[in-house]
Amino acid sequence: MASSEVKPKSVSRAKKWSEEIENLYRFQQAGYRDEIEYKQVKQVSMVDRWPETGYVKKLQRRDNTFYYYNKQRECDDKEVHKVKIYAY
Amino acid sequence: MVAEKEPLGLSKCSDKMPKRSKLLAPQALPVHPPHALVSEGFTVKAMMKNSVVRGPPAAGAFKERPTKPTAFRKFYERGDFPIALEHDSKGNKIAWKVEIEKLDYHHYLPLFFDGLCEMTFPYEFFARQGIHDMLEHGGNKILPVIPQLIIPIKNALNLRNRQVICVTLKVLQHLVVSAEMVGEALVPYYRQILPILNIFKNMNVNSGDGIDYSQQKRENIGDLIQETLEAFERYGGEDAFINIKYMVPTYESCLLN
Repeated sequence: MASSEVKPKSVSRAKKWSEEIENLYRFQQAGYRDEIEYKQVKQVSMVDRWPETGYVKKLQRRDNTFYYYNKQRECDDKEVHKVKIYAY
Repeated sequence: MVAEKEPLGLSKCSDKMPKRSKLLAPQALPVHPPHALVSEGFTVKAMMKNSVVRGPPAAGAFKERPTKPTAFRKFYERGDFPIALEHDSKGNKIAWKVEIEKLDYHHYLPLFFDGLCEMTFPYEFFARQGIHDMLEHGGNKILPVIPQLIIPIKNALNLRNRQVICVTLKVLQHLVVSAEMVGEALVPYYRQILPILNIFKNMNVNSGDGIDYSQQKRENIGDLIQETLEAFERYGGEDAFINIKYMVPTYESCLLN
């Protein structure tokens, strides 16, 4: 498995919304831990982002379908605590 | 003479029940004659003494129209759309099997707009969300397709179903901001889109100082129409206002004055 190359050491939950959390939320919706795992699994060097906001725009899921995200914030306050932050 | 006779007549009648009822009957007759002739207005019949003119029938401007089977449903059931439904914590989402950028907008976007007429799950959801994703990621591929979107939009609005109108209005608001020049490109088609908006423009709840929850949920048709017309005016260029005013005479500019 490609994901076995780098394993996270610890995990914590997000408390407050930020742009980083927003992006993590988008990766986790698509079924990845974060950008690092996405790049490992999909073997890509770049992630599609919205030029205006810098949020993730398009992700390919493990079953090769695509998830598209909005230009604006998608992670509501009530969703923030579901986001996991992995530390390596 | 009359004053004298009346009490006499009444006292005489009081012990004869049938007579009394005969006296009362003529009073009720002029109001609802049992054998009244019901007739249409402005006819010879209507001028006859015993005829009652029926009021005009309701025009049915607000009445919902029957739905027809949509091409969107046919294509979806045949499996022609490269989409799949994903359930997640937040609700449902579309997983696209191909990249939206590679889709043929001339083919798919009008089909998805055709699905606006749908009211049942999953068709309604796929149409709404599919349009949202395609508009969000379409960029300059949207503008050339505009002429093909008008008929589906018109059909959806013409159903006069409240839910369909709500969704269509939100789609229109998204459409005008989706790409450059789209607002201007819609101006020639106001004649097709705006008549229904004109009918429903005043469909607002006068709840006094009560709370109208449809405002919070953005389901208040009157407000949505106002927002949509304002969006049309903002993004439609300099000719937009006069064209809106032509179709919706009660609309007041949000930019002028």
